[in-house]
Amino acid sequence: MKGFRTHLVVAALVCAASLTVHAQDFRLFNRSVQVHGSLSQGFAYSNDNNFLTMKTSDSSPAFTDGALNLSTAVTDKFHVGAQAYDRKVGQLDDFRPQLDFAYGDYRFARWFGVRAGRVKTALGLYNDTQDADFLYTWALLPQGTYPLDLRNSMIAHDGGDLYGQIPLKKAGKLNYTGYYGKRTFDDRSGYYIFSSDLGMPIDSASGRALGWDLRWTAPLKGLTLGSSWIDMTQNRVGHYNEAYFPPDTQYRAHSAPDRTAVGYADFQRNKWDFSGEYRAENYWLSILTPSFGNSVFLWNGTNESWFTTASYHATKRVTLGVYHSNYHVDSPADPTNKATNHIYDEVAAARVDLNRYWVVKAEGHFMDGYGDLYSTHGFYERSNPDGFKPRTNMLMLRTSFFF
Amino acid sequence: MKYTQWLLLAGAVMLIVPLSLRAADMKVIANPSVSASAVSADDLKDVFLENKDSLGGSHVDPVLEKGGPAHEAFLKVLGKSDAALQTYYRSLVFSGKGSMPKALASDAEVAAWVAKTKGAVGYVSGDASAPGTKVLEVK
Repeated sequence: MKGFRTHLVVAALVCAASLTVHAQDFRLFNRSVQVHGSLSQGFAYSNDNNFLTMKTSDSSPAFTDGALNLSTAVTDKFHVGAQAYDRKVGQLDDFRPQLDFAYGDYRFARWFGVRAGRVKTALGLYNDTQDADFLYTWALLPQGTYPLDLRNSMIAHDGGDLYGQIPLKKAGKLNYTGYYGKRTFDDRSGYYIFSSDLGMPIDSASGRALGWDLRWTAPLKGLTLGSSWIDMTQNRVGHYNEAYFPPDTQYRAHSAPDRTAVGYADFQRNKWDFSGEYRAENYWLSILTPSFGNSVFLWNGTNESWFTTASYHATKRVTLGVYHSNYHVDSPADPTNKATNHIYDEVAAARVDLNRYWVVKAEGHFMDGYGDLYSTHGFYERSNPDGFKPRTNMLMLRTSFFF
Repeated sequence: MKYTQWLLLAGAVMLIVPLSLRAADMKVIANPSVSASAVSADDLKDVFLENKDSLGGSHVDPVLEKGGPAHEAFLKVLGKSDAALQTYYRSLVFSGKGSMPKALASDAEVAAWVAKTKGAVGYVSGDASAPGTKVLEVK
């Protein structure tokens, strides 16, 4: 009940803030500092399976997130900024604030700049803006490609970006980003939850990310095409929490390898917006249990995902849209159960912009399949102790305020 | 005149009239510190979409109007609706890859800001007075 009240208060704050708080800036050391933020409250109701560790089958408001950021130009070429982010989505995160990004950015020229610190990772259409739901028609981005559960380990890296834009005259423009850095892991994310559910709690995890993103603004008005690639490592150390292992038996897991290739497109024309993205992740994990010797167990987590969306700005305030999200697991733990090798999600959504700073969204999800136990894509044993049904229908409401 | 020539003439009129209306609806102004006296539509778009931060060798900072006829005309130059433009800036802000340009409420506020701020570039209605600024010809 206390939790429900908290989410109700957040929803009330979203309404109040949208009427009173606007973007701010203030002077500091004779520089203008911009302040922006967002606050969002969601509500989910599903027919059978519980989704994203919420008790959605009982209807759940346990879906809150918010961000606050400051940025300033130290010189004409050098900018700094930082953002704090906070969320609670079921058992994913617990309102403990996290540093979302904190960067220094020096732009030598249009075609070359350097960004360093904690930097959001450019991957596909939306990775670096996936928390900012108010940018989209959808209350939930396609979860096959942008799963909320894996957000904390994909969103940013501690390291640096090289970036720039190259004008191609009549052939449009090409934006590039190349990056390298330490991955961010969080013990409240889906990785930790599913691993714990499987009797393999994670004590520590680390790794690095190396990748690039190329985004071509084509001469055809409204068309953007892009490609990304990322090579990630992860080194997990944990212990088995199962009766058939001696207490505190340690395991170590390493990616071998974990590489994702992405292709994407977006086309905006008049009142229409179409987008699509395809990802192929070649993901293997080598698991070593030192007390059992040097033999390694190789786990195959290879998967593909894609989505297509279409949205239509029916009026100045109302946008309607549909999308199809597709997630496929190559080697599910139980190949005989066809519901474990995929999650298909058909979505119909409506977005209403109540004013310049406040949106309300409603969308229906019609999901088929629930993915593998290891998928970390919304369906968890701990919130579905009686097992899974093959289909899930869910209503999602979300209201967001931003400035 | 043949039918196809009439068609070409009509097409040209359809293209030229809206362009000249746009030009009459708004003018681009800059702080006198900006060395450029003219700007191409592409460069102007790049400055306001934060792809480019200099004109004619001078650093520039764009300033927007929150609404009104000049803003509506300027959106046509950018090729974006107001909602799409706001979404674009917000995606820069919340991904840590850019900032929101200053946005002011009226021609008078934009003109005053551009006049007093080194490197500022903005737009006002075609007939608005903007003392202390220079008008950039849009080529």
